[in-house]
Amino acid sequence: MSRLKHISIVIILAFLGLIMLLDLNKIPNQFEYANSIYHHITNNAVGETGSLNFVTAILYDYRAYDSMGESTIIFGAVSGIVLLLSRKTLPVSSHGLSFIVKRTYGMLTPFIFLFSVYIIAHGHLSPGGGFQGGVILGAISIIFSIVYGSEFDYKRYTPTTKTLLETSGALLFIGIGLIGIIYSGSFLSNLNILNSEPGSLLSAGSIPFINLGIGFKIGAGLAIIFYSMIQKTFKEEASL
Amino acid sequence: MIILKYLLLIFLGVTAYLAISFKEILISIIFLSIFSIVLTALYLIHNAPDVALAEAVIGAGLNTAIFMTVISQIRADEDCHCRKDD
Repeated sequence: MSRLKHISIVIILAFLGLIMLLDLNKIPNQFEYANSIYHHITNNAVGETGSLNFVTAILYDYRAYDSMGESTIIFGAVSGIVLLLSRKTLPVSSHGLSFIVKRTYGMLTPFIFLFSVYIIAHGHLSPGGGFQGGVILGAISIIFSIVYGSEFDYKRYTPTTKTLLETSGALLFIGIGLIGIIYSGSFLSNLNILNSEPGSLLSAGSIPFINLGIGFKIGAGLAIIFYSMIQKTFKEEASL
Repeated sequence: MIILKYLLLIFLGVTAYLAISFKEILISIIFLSIFSIVLTALYLIHNAPDVALAEAVIGAGLNTAIFMTVISQIRADEDCHCRKDD
């Protein structure tokens, strides 16, 4: 019975792989059509948005409304997890790892923070952007809870601060979108403020500001998710 | 480069199979982390550094930390029940 199950699973997977391969061969080559979106973006993206990184140009300029939907999904996930798991008790964990790990991580933290800020701020110039840098920001807080024990970060960087950072990031995003209505008539249109030539740090209009908002939002949101997940256990441990 | 690509693809399949073939969940989590690192290298070879960065940070870093925490929580819960039964 188990052998038959394994063989049928392998056959089904091989069949699905074959179908996927045939489908992939049917996707038209991007160079085929003269007026395709590929040609439009590679020829006009720098002139229209000022962003050298075309992925960020698509995410936060051409398809900024979709990105706002994605960040709304993350906001909903954070709200749901906090509603289900959050407790009012202060989490009391073990005292973290050894002295050497604590000192090493303490010395490394400024550089990790600098790297995440670099990825967020240079999102329109180099690979990366608000989402990737924001996840590194959230990871700093998560590693703090593992290395130093969960009480350390919880007392210095309370859930209220995290919620404030998250909502201010979301408000920055939506605020730029609303200013776009007044400025040029459409939601989330590029504001073209503080614009110098493409390739410098303050270029690409509103894309760096949207990156900043998304970065704060994602980082604080992931930290909130992690801390509301560990809070429950430590309450149960304390009740023992 | 093409040899490296196919080597990484084979290694991707091997780590994916190893991740589901162990009964100890901790080993599965470590293999999932290795899977993410191999996938990061593949994205980088296919000229997608944005996706590679996201995969490295989320797949190899954040997922591992969250899974480890969940595993330690589940084991702490099981220990609690054992103590209550005794």
